[in-house]
Amino acid sequence: MRLRGLLWFNAVFSIMPVALLAGAVVEGRIELPKSHSAPVQAKRYEIVTHAGVLSTQPPLAVVYLDGAFPKSASLSTKQVAQKDLTFLPALLPIRVGTKVEFPNLDDTYHNIFSYSPVKRFDLGRYRPEERPIPVQVFDKPGLVTLRCDIHEHMRGLILVLSTPYFVMTDMDGRFRLSGLPAGHYTLKAWIDSRTTQEKPVDLNSGQTLHVDFP
Amino acid sequence: MSSPVQARNESVASFRTRLFTAMMIIVATLTVLGLYLAQRKVTADAERNLQENFQAELSSLHKLEELRDAALADRCDKLAAKPRIHAAIEDNAIDLLYPSATDELRDLMEGEEPPPEQAAQSLHAKFYRFLDGQGAVIRPPNPYDVGGLDTKTEAQLALNKLPDTQQIGYIQENGGGGTFDEVIAVPIFSTYTGDVISALVIGFKPFEVKEKHTDVGMKSGVWANGQLHLPSLPKSAQASLSEKIANAVASSDREQDNFRVNVDGVPRLLFYKRLNPGSLFPPAYEICVYPLADSIVQLHRLRWQIGGAGALILLGGFVASHFVALRLSAPVKKLALDSEENRAQRKRAEAALASTAQELERSSRYSADASHQLKSPVTVFRLGLEALLAREGLKPEVYEQLSGLLHQTHRLTGVIDDLLLLSRVDAGHLQIASAPVDLSQLIDEWLDDLGALPDSPDVKIEKEFPGGLFVAGEKRYTSLIVQNLLENARKYNRLDGRIRVSAHRNAKDVVLTIGNTGRTIPPGENIFERFHHSSTPSAVSGHGMGLNLARELARLHGGDVRLVRSEIDWTEFEVRFPAADGVNAVA
Repeated sequence: MRLRGLLWFNAVFSIMPVALLAGAVVEGRIELPKSHSAPVQAKRYEIVTHAGVLSTQPPLAVVYLDGAFPKSASLSTKQVAQKDLTFLPALLPIRVGTKVEFPNLDDTYHNIFSYSPVKRFDLGRYRPEERPIPVQVFDKPGLVTLRCDIHEHMRGLILVLSTPYFVMTDMDGRFRLSGLPAGHYTLKAWIDSRTTQEKPVDLNSGQTLHVDFP
Repeated sequence: MSSPVQARNESVASFRTRLFTAMMIIVATLTVLGLYLAQRKVTADAERNLQENFQAELSSLHKLEELRDAALADRCDKLAAKPRIHAAIEDNAIDLLYPSATDELRDLMEGEEPPPEQAAQSLHAKFYRFLDGQGAVIRPPNPYDVGGLDTKTEAQLALNKLPDTQQIGYIQENGGGGTFDEVIAVPIFSTYTGDVISALVIGFKPFEVKEKHTDVGMKSGVWANGQLHLPSLPKSAQASLSEKIANAVASSDREQDNFRVNVDGVPRLLFYKRLNPGSLFPPAYEICVYPLADSIVQLHRLRWQIGGAGALILLGGFVASHFVALRLSAPVKKLALDSEENRAQRKRAEAALASTAQELERSSRYSADASHQLKSPVTVFRLGLEALLAREGLKPEVYEQLSGLLHQTHRLTGVIDDLLLLSRVDAGHLQIASAPVDLSQLIDEWLDDLGALPDSPDVKIEKEFPGGLFVAGEKRYTSLIVQNLLENARKYNRLDGRIRVSAHRNAKDVVLTIGNTGRTIPPGENIFERFHHSSTPSAVSGHGMGLNLARELARLHGGDVRLVRSEIDWTEFEVRFPAADGVNAVA
């Protein structure tokens, strides 16, 4: 198994220049769960729990190409802000090793912490103008639940992925992943904390593949 | 002579005794009943007083407790809602549960134990633990932070299942014998599913009623799990009490009750009341022991008072009954005397009546015998005289004498006939063959005869009666009545006098009134008496049987004869005959 993975890795590595030149594209649509609330105008959503399952409201999905990819040298720093006593964005997909800042944009204290096994941290109480902005590096893949010790209703999710190829759908569930390497992969769609769907894909350079879930 | 009086006195005395006894029984019964009711009421009142006392003390205690429990519950709910505690449980970070809670509950655990009077405000916890999904205790990594408990005590915090609501329990530290701790279990709900995922159990020092009056006041404590904590009682007494409470609780499903116990030879009333009704924790009871010595003394005093009152009532009743019996027996005594006199009188009267009846019978028999004996010789005598008078050639003076004698024999016959008739009436042998008799005709005939009598004085006769007045009777006796009265009217008349005969019929009778002029009958003179002779000298002679006979006969017919009036120169008799029905109407 490991051997085969290594072989795959070599193969990908050998064709990488080509792939970089003209990457493959996957686009399609995910059948999202029905939204229970009226569609919001602004592109704002929040984390809700329904029967113990965390998801975004209105529903959004994260589509990513599963696989082992080389670590990139430098990753851009992401942000999960606290604004109007919610996390913004409520769901943040990142690549493993990404540094995330937690700026406080409210006029009140926040105390962001996570007891998730993937990443436990506690930023302590901090004011809006606190510098440096509290930051955490997420170096294990998995789902992290963000909470605020002061505002118990606040929930945020960070989906830590080992792949650099991921994208969030729009509200209709449409997505487009471009610049993908050619090869045989598994395309996964994270829908909520309990549901991740997957489909095998064969990617060819310069080709656009259409994949719909489910 | 003395024996009836003695008997009477004895019977009156026995009546008095019986009356007195009956009254005393009633008074005694009422008194005993009253005493019984009063006693019962006193006992019930005493128990109710104790009960109220207990409830009052308990309710003041419970008010404080409720206040604290409400504050605690509020506090615990807030604690249970803490995000870190939720995060530790929900995000599967149990190792972080107690460290997180230590921060959150620090203020609850820190500081000194507050004095009891501030316990309600201070909410100082002794320990706390979390329960897992099955209700078992989650062991803390560092017991010092969360209040140390030995394993046995800690095990008492576990529940069969997680509670939906706040639960109150009582546990005893150090495996029994020590003080009880009050524990409150608060459910922790998942923010994801809303289900109960854990519970926070916090232990506090329980409230204790301050013993204000150690000797007389009530002593209170807690009983749970077969253990009693009542520090003001000696250990040995606690053990026996604990057993009794266990029995009482086991045998009754009541949440509160009371019973009497003896502690160290002192009677006490023990109340118990469930402290945690409906709790998942084992039932715990508030125990109050109330000494009965005071109330028993009070009860005794009251009993004495009631008894004294009862004795007074009995004494009063005794005296009153005695007097009433005397008062009531006095008229009875009089009544007894009277009735005895009456009885004697009646006996005398009866004896007199018997002898009179005998005499009467004897006399009537005698007159009947005498009449019979007389009748034959008189008849012989009369027949002889008539035969002599029938002879020719009697000297006129002899003839005159003989006819005088004959006249006397006629009178004698009349008297004998009257006597015979009367004796038959007296003996009750005379039977009346009742038939309609034309009274008008009878009177007319007799009036005609009256005028024809030789020695009739010159009297004027007035008649005032209709024809055809029929009466019911036997004709010859009716005729005799009329004859006797008319003859009297003529006989006792004066010269140039008058006789008025009137008759009329009323509802049932025919009334014949015969009045005549002449001398007055003095009042008080019993003219109807047999062989009556007028007290006033008179020229007229009679044998004194006519009126008597007339009246006896009239009475025998169902009528009567009476003297209506006797004034100056006017005497009037009235005869009533029963009317003969139907005949008069026809006539």
